[in-house]
Amino acid sequence: MTEAAARVLVVEDTPTQAELARILLTGMGHEVRVVAAATPALSTAREWHPDAILLDIELPDFNGFELFKQLRAEGIDSEVIVVTADGSHRALKEAMRLGAWDYIVKPYNKLALATPLDQALKKRGLERRLAKAEETRPASDRFQGFIGASPAMTAVYQVIRSVAASKASVFITGESGTGKELAAEAVHKASPRAGREFVALNCGAIPRDLLESEVFGHVKGAFTGATSDRQGAAKLADGGTLFLDEIGEMPLDMQVKLLRFVQTGTYSPVGSSRIERTDVRFVCATNRDPMLEVQAGRFREDLYYRLYVVPIELPPLRERGADVIAIAQHFLAQFSKEEKRKFRGFSPDAEAALLAYSWPGNVRQLQNVVRNVVVLHREGDWVEAAMLPPPVVRFGGLPVGPVQAVAAPSLPAAPLPAALARPLPDPIVDELPPPEPEWVEVAPLAVAERVRVAPAALAPVAPAPLPVAPVAAPIAAPPAYTPPAYTPLSSRAAPTADEPEVVPLAVMERRLILAALRRTNSDVPRAAALLEINPSTVYRKLQNWRAEGLRDDV
Amino acid sequence: MTFQSDFAQLAEDLAPEDVKRVLDVFEADVRRLVGTLDAAAVAGDVAGFRRVAHGLAGAAGAVGARALEQACRAVMGRGDMETAMLPKLAGKIDMLADGALAELATFVAGLDVSAPRF
Repeated sequence: MTEAAARVLVVEDTPTQAELARILLTGMGHEVRVVAAATPALSTAREWHPDAILLDIELPDFNGFELFKQLRAEGIDSEVIVVTADGSHRALKEAMRLGAWDYIVKPYNKLALATPLDQALKKRGLERRLAKAEETRPASDRFQGFIGASPAMTAVYQVIRSVAASKASVFITGESGTGKELAAEAVHKASPRAGREFVALNCGAIPRDLLESEVFGHVKGAFTGATSDRQGAAKLADGGTLFLDEIGEMPLDMQVKLLRFVQTGTYSPVGSSRIERTDVRFVCATNRDPMLEVQAGRFREDLYYRLYVVPIELPPLRERGADVIAIAQHFLAQFSKEEKRKFRGFSPDAEAALLAYSWPGNVRQLQNVVRNVVVLHREGDWVEAAMLPPPVVRFGGLPVGPVQAVAAPSLPAAPLPAALARPLPDPIVDELPPPEPEWVEVAPLAVAERVRVAPAALAPVAPAPLPVAPVAAPIAAPPAYTPPAYTPLSSRAAPTADEPEVVPLAVMERRLILAALRRTNSDVPRAAALLEINPSTVYRKLQNWRAEGLRDDV
Repeated sequence: MTFQSDFAQLAEDLAPEDVKRVLDVFEADVRRLVGTLDAAAVAGDVAGFRRVAHGLAGAAGAVGARALEQACRAVMGRGDMETAMLPKLAGKIDMLADGALAELATFVAGLDVSAPRF
């Protein structure tokens, strides 16, 4: 049985052979055109778009292999079956090397012609059906770890699919919590590099003096503490993908070195003059507008144009419509399983509340809200609006508007740390230990934010100024980051008043960060761990305060 | 004398009227190509001779004229072919072509073009 009718172009200069092929193919139900030379074959293929081409190699004007190359060069994707009297290994190998579907050695009978042609047309038909299905199928609500079928995300999926196969650099932008690293991983997983390493570096979380070593590696003795050779991310990602998150935080002098690496694929490990070559695909991300960073002089224009080849802008959750519900359902199922709850979904009023909220912390905030609900509510099959924590829902379960004011207005360039955007439910207020006798407790920033809104009359206590100059000093060697052991709130240093004073959130944030630095002898990673925020946030805050003329001590 | 033509494969693959059409084209092909081959031999054009022999081999192979096909391919593959050999080689091919056409005429005469095709 033959494949459905197809267009078959016969390129054959021997009339007997051509007529035989025409009759056989017509008998199989195909539409057939016959040409006797390469030149008319090319023009026919261009305008007729045959599904398959039976290609004789010995042609009067030029060689069939040359015609084959020209067809492919022009993007003509017809399946090619080479027909030749020369059954030598060399000729057939050349045919297959060029991408022929199969070959037929002359003379051939009907079966010898039909078998490879049917297979070629079946393959082509499958490809077309797949492509059509891809075009017409309803938008999937899952893609490489993403959830959601909103038009904005469907467009993102399409860009990722399109760019994955190439080596083009990808530049991902989007607010904090929109899934930039997930998008970078999706590009990697969908690419031919998926079998190699995906190496992610957060440029904002690494002290500037160590960034070069993190990217390019170092040799023994390159700096104090470099006790052995160490490979950098560039080497580890060889053949794979190097993801540079928060690329805007990269110091300008490092940007120069990165530019050279992007341009040439070569680099030298710190402390070495040896040139190393690696093959990486660059994916970068920032939550700022990269062009504004260029205009502000914080990001090199030449590097921008090298990296900003295929931009992917991740939409904020508030622009993703019903994706909010799909993502919330996903988290609800996940957390219910973890916490051994029986939640099956969200009630209509809860869904309305989720849809009405602006989600300044994006998916990360939604994740925290759902976890909060699951942890704090043991009973019930459905999440009701009243179970949702403020600020998602206030005043008896009615949805409220965006809570944009959470971001400190004095820090316009700094993205909102996820912890600051995290809404905390009222029930936690009752579970907090009484304030302890120290002016400020080093607690996670999210807890500090909740404490800020506690209605209580407080006795302000003047903070003792403590310099944190070492933070700004060059760091000689990579600090080995060890997360500190968890200290229960109740056993930490106590404040001196019953309640903390109510001050602007930005002020409290600064006090907390500086207190944490003081507590850890200016060890930023440890201070960040105490505050349960990213070290890059601490670095950025310190930088911003200095830029604003604020002292980085209290 | 047999020229080892085997048109049975054609009859198996094609309806009789299609077999006849192919064989008509073959006859025209052979007459044209033999004429060209003779001209190449007279002119001492070795490359042209080879090229025509290639065309004849393809046509003969397509219909099952085995002896003619093999003779043409042998000519194509000869590395020692010289101008002086061409008339003799052309004569041999002419004879095989005539024989194939004669067998062809017999075969076509036996075709029942009204017979149903399966």
